[in-house]
Amino acid sequence: MNINRIKYGMGVTILAITVFIVACSKKSGTDNGPKADGFDKAGMLTNYADNLIIPAYMGLQDQITQLETTANTFLATPNADNQQTLKVAFKTAYLQYEQVSVNQFGPSERVLLNNFLNTFPADNAVIDGNITRGTYDLTQNSAIDQQGFPSLDYVLFAPDALAKFSGSSAANRKKYVQDLLARMKTLTGGVVTTWKNTYKAEFIQNTRSDAGSPIAFLINQFAYEMDQMKGPRIGWPFGKQSGGVQYPDKTEGYHAGISVSLAVANLTNLKKMFTGNNSGKGMSDYLVALNKKPLSDDVIKQFDLAIVKLNAIPDPFSTALANKKTEIEAAYREIQILLTLIKTDVASATGVRITYQDTDGD
Amino acid sequence: MVINHCFQKPVSIAPLVIFRVLFGLMMFAGIMRFWLNGWITDLYVTPRFYFNYWGFEWVHPLGGTGMHLLFLLAGVSALGMAAGLLYRITAVVFFLSFTYIEMIDATNYLNHYYFISLVGFLMIWLPANRYFSIDVKIWPDLRRDMVPLWTVGIIRLQIAVVYFFAGLAKLSPDWLLDATPMKIWLPAKSHLPLIGGLMYKSWVAYFFSWFGALYDLFITFFLVNRKTRPIAYVFVIGFHLATALFFPGIGMFPYVMIICSFIFFSSSAQQKLLNRIKSPGQTTSDHSVYQLPARVNSMFMVALGFYFCVQLIVPLRFLAYPGQLFWYEEGYRFSWRVMLMEKSGNTFFYVKEPSTGKIYEVNNNEFLTPLQDKMMSTQPDLILRYAHYLASVYKQRGLKDPAVYAECYVALNGERSRPFTNPTIDLSRQPFSWRHYTWILPLVKDEK
Repeated sequence: MNINRIKYGMGVTILAITVFIVACSKKSGTDNGPKADGFDKAGMLTNYADNLIIPAYMGLQDQITQLETTANTFLATPNADNQQTLKVAFKTAYLQYEQVSVNQFGPSERVLLNNFLNTFPADNAVIDGNITRGTYDLTQNSAIDQQGFPSLDYVLFAPDALAKFSGSSAANRKKYVQDLLARMKTLTGGVVTTWKNTYKAEFIQNTRSDAGSPIAFLINQFAYEMDQMKGPRIGWPFGKQSGGVQYPDKTEGYHAGISVSLAVANLTNLKKMFTGNNSGKGMSDYLVALNKKPLSDDVIKQFDLAIVKLNAIPDPFSTALANKKTEIEAAYREIQILLTLIKTDVASATGVRITYQDTDGD
Repeated sequence: MVINHCFQKPVSIAPLVIFRVLFGLMMFAGIMRFWLNGWITDLYVTPRFYFNYWGFEWVHPLGGTGMHLLFLLAGVSALGMAAGLLYRITAVVFFLSFTYIEMIDATNYLNHYYFISLVGFLMIWLPANRYFSIDVKIWPDLRRDMVPLWTVGIIRLQIAVVYFFAGLAKLSPDWLLDATPMKIWLPAKSHLPLIGGLMYKSWVAYFFSWFGALYDLFITFFLVNRKTRPIAYVFVIGFHLATALFFPGIGMFPYVMIICSFIFFSSSAQQKLLNRIKSPGQTTSDHSVYQLPARVNSMFMVALGFYFCVQLIVPLRFLAYPGQLFWYEEGYRFSWRVMLMEKSGNTFFYVKEPSTGKIYEVNNNEFLTPLQDKMMSTQPDLILRYAHYLASVYKQRGLKDPAVYAECYVALNGERSRPFTNPTIDLSRQPFSWRHYTWILPLVKDEK
């Protein structure tokens, strides 16, 4: 009796499990499970390295060289015309920088490229001091806000900049501009070399998703750039953190008056990075392979929406802050939605942790 | 009476001694690893704000030097335990220093840290230094060759509690019927050689989920049974090494469980092992059995009964709460819920000054490390803790009666992100308590 009961119980259990597994495997075959054929992560990373990241750095290298040529013309003959020409070259180079801004890992992280090239707002008082003294050490980490694009922006395009290039400190000032450009060139050149020579192979080979892997870096950086967009680029100057008190002079590219253009370039490039430039080998395609096509589509749509809303704000941003509040508020909202999509939905779907720290978890 | 007799049955002290040595060495290694990775600074020096446990607000980090000294103290006392040097003191020091560290910041909570604290606590009361120890070298009279079975049994029972509740926690529809979060985590492991390609396959996710649940539920029974023990221990090693390979993020946990589960081997087998390392030498009748005075012993039995009742109630306290456990996390911690869900969040805080209507959006990076930000964004009690902190910070900055609102989005187990907190409720006015959170919005599931 007892033994029979046990046998009966076991039979029922086994039957239940079998039915269950069959039911589940059927279900997973139709909609739920990730695609069985997998996804070529190495191919995706190769696409990122060869077609997006390395060309962007090389483009920046070219642009800085051209900027240097134009700057030398201006420094030889500092007049309003030359300054205007220089401003165009400056904008082109700065826009190109936005293409590499997201790649803050590997070689660029090692030399703190982003910190040295684009810490804004620059420390104007210290820059003036550097120029007056004629002595400074730009390689120090504490000097990040005395160089790069934001410092050039101040030294070259501040309202009284032109006059200062023929004043008493003109020689020191010219040398400072040249030193800044030389440093930007050295740093960017170094990153290009490291990417090409050693890091590319390392980047492509590592198809993991845990902290410190290229895939985790990319997704973390997408989120980080969105945080920067929401904060320093748009939200902070707009007074979001300060109870409505605005800081127009703390915007990116303030003196050249190109903040919105830079933000649009940044976001457009971010979209390009997300889709792998529509090559079929981007993060968006990885999501599709993970059966998250709706999410992938929504993120792309949200990118487009945020870019449209950003574009509705006219440059200079410092003026728009006062008279285009509705437009800025609207763009800000879409940016926040995009940030949430990337930081929670995309990170969650890819199993990537948004953290730079490599600690244990459970 | 029979049960008590069984508890007091003398067995070889070997399992306890081997456990003491392995546990101590393991803890030392773990602390060194933490130190060398630079995590002491990252987790206990760099942050500006620490998430206290409710009722333990007096626990604070001790600064750069202080924290390193505290870890040094924990490491040295772990070695002292392993060596059986001034055992009672080193065991107490280890338990206190380790537990203090873990209580500094709730965002660092891990189940195996909690496990280590519990085992550390139990070890204080056990005569694990009465053999094969420096204490016995110094004070030969301390030596005992046999101990009552309960001294070994409570460690086994503690491990059983961990496994069994970890298994129970996996008996959820998400885990069993949907194979999430395995289905999300495994494709991220497709870089693994040979098996990488399988990681996209649905059945593999189901296999991992079901095997994990069955393993956790039943492994203890197979470890207790003499006949199945050797093969069960092979499973212990295999299972935990596999988790270490697949989920390197879980750190020391697999090794802690492999080492600790060794205690299930029989006293006689462990005695033989120990004899190979060190011959037992001369023994006198004085050395035979470790015994507590009868009254102390019965007090111990009562205390242990109480301890394990708490161990059973704490992981089940979630039953007292309405609402989805994974969403609200009421009764989630201290319940052996390991690697159970994929949860990501993103929280925006707004501080409002009612008198002026001015709104200040908070830059979380100003106060939190990325890791703290991530952990806080999915756990209601941490959101509340941080909201209270923000109120005090903005008060110091000159705001009158600052109100704190949170707009939070959480993605759970691969679903799309949903609003998590009620953005109209002033969290600075919400008290810390064990009550159900009314300011968390209910979970709305995807329509499938």
